Amino acid sequence: MSPGRSYPKMLILIVIAMLVLGTLAALVVSQANRSRSRIPVLGELTEFELTAAHNGELAGPESLKGKICVYDFIFTSCRGPCPVMAVNMGELYRLYKGSGKIQFASISVDPNRDTLEALNEYAELQRVDDDGWIFLRGPLEKVAEICEEQFMLPAEDLPGGHTTKFILVDHLGRIRSYHDGLSESSMEILQNNIRQLAKELP
Amino acid sequence: MRAFGRFAILTTVATYFLIFMGGLVRVSGAGLGCPDWPKCFGRWIPPLSINQIPPDIDAAAFNLTLAWIEYINRLFGVTVGLLILAVAIWAIARYRSNLRIVIPAVLAAILTAYQGWQGSQVVSSGLKPIIVSVHMIIALVIAGLMIYISIQAYYRTAPDSAGKYPKKSRLLTGILLLAALVQVIIGTQLREAIENIFAESPLISSTEVLFRIGGLTFIHAIFGIVIMFLAFVTSYRLLSRDPSSLIWQSGWTMAGLGLLQIIFGIVLFLSGIPPVVRLLHMWISALLFGVVLITYFALKNERSAA
Repeated sequence: MSPGRSYPKMLILIVIAMLVLGTLAALVVSQANRSRSRIPVLGELTEFELTAAHNGELAGPESLKGKICVYDFIFTSCRGPCPVMAVNMGELYRLYKGSGKIQFASISVDPNRDTLEALNEYAELQRVDDDGWIFLRGPLEKVAEICEEQFMLPAEDLPGGHTTKFILVDHLGRIRSYHDGLSESSMEILQNNIRQLAKELP
Repeated sequence: MRAFGRFAILTTVATYFLIFMGGLVRVSGAGLGCPDWPKCFGRWIPPLSINQIPPDIDAAAFNLTLAWIEYINRLFGVTVGLLILAVAIWAIARYRSNLRIVIPAVLAAILTAYQGWQGSQVVSSGLKPIIVSVHMIIALVIAGLMIYISIQAYYRTAPDSAGKYPKKSRLLTGILLLAALVQVIIGTQLREAIENIFAESPLISSTEVLFRIGGLTFIHAIFGIVIMFLAFVTSYRLLSRDPSSLIWQSGWTMAGLGLLQIIFGIVLFLSGIPPVVRLLHMWISALLFGVVLITYFALKNERSAA
């Protein structure tokens, strides 16, 4: 027997490396999954009700419970950041349209100009064709109060100075994360969080 | 030459660990753990807490675990890059006249620098599937070059005598090599298809995904079985003809990895693409490619030596 013929050393080394590295990888992957699933509870929405433009009925955290919600604050004649926010929100809306588990809600910060008709026209402009993305309207003071007290976001100089955050709220009406509505990478993270929250759904 | 050969083998092994690490980043979903490049959240050492993140970067993107997984891959990447650079410098300094060593060594160093930059594109593209695939293919080419260098060095120092393989063995190994490469490409296409479907319908189940892709999954599986038999036949031919010790080692490894690869493929299909199996499946494909390459170059060297 020639010296090289003893035993298949290379194969055995590779299999051992696979076992060791595979175990390590399993630990890393589970750690990564755990780190992602830790989306803290940042606050809880208490009841408020605003008028939904598509059916004229009152809607709020209570009536949207059971669904994962993404909120933002907009006004239809806004020329600044809103168009980008609307594009991002629209993309998410279409992405999750089929699932029926995700609700999008845009709250108007300019009730004087944003009548229910104006909001419905805006919805049409954003190619919204079901109630997966709703538009909410209420008195300005009330909206400002909701923004500050409930969502814990600044509401000075409305409508122009409205926040550009997307707020992720879980199916129990708890605020889980804030995302920059103008940043693409932030949208990626929002999607990851939605995926994670979907696992918490009953 | 002996020390250089050892160093080249060490670098090759390190390259394979790096390929594993890169796959781990992929399957653990840590690819965007650092949103910027080359720094991580604007720091050379990734932040340990959310307070360390500069105000111009969205702190909501921060996940300590994912940031460190991604960053360790980058650190290890730099280390392997330096090893490859060292191989190239060593080759230029000592073996300038040996073009079979110096050319692939310089090529590997250049390609490694490019790979580092391409890694930044992986991040800035937001992990676009095709760019991820290119990153993996370049890694395979670099590993292939390192293997070639190691083999050249090995046959200038090894006490091995040439075996008595029929001419057809090398042809068969060459066919196996090509088939394995094609299969790797199909595999990356399959991964891309899976990832694209997940991107469009994030809440879909993995069984549904494979069902939706259909054809490509089937082609990959059938071709995989063909390659496994090809690997068995090749290794049987080599092992039964009084092989040199290197060919003996790679023959067994080829057959063993061929079998393992099919088993992992079946597990992937049946159990919903578990991440660790996905990683090992990718890694074995890189290893199998490497060992077929070793065999091919070894046969070539032994024939010219005989």
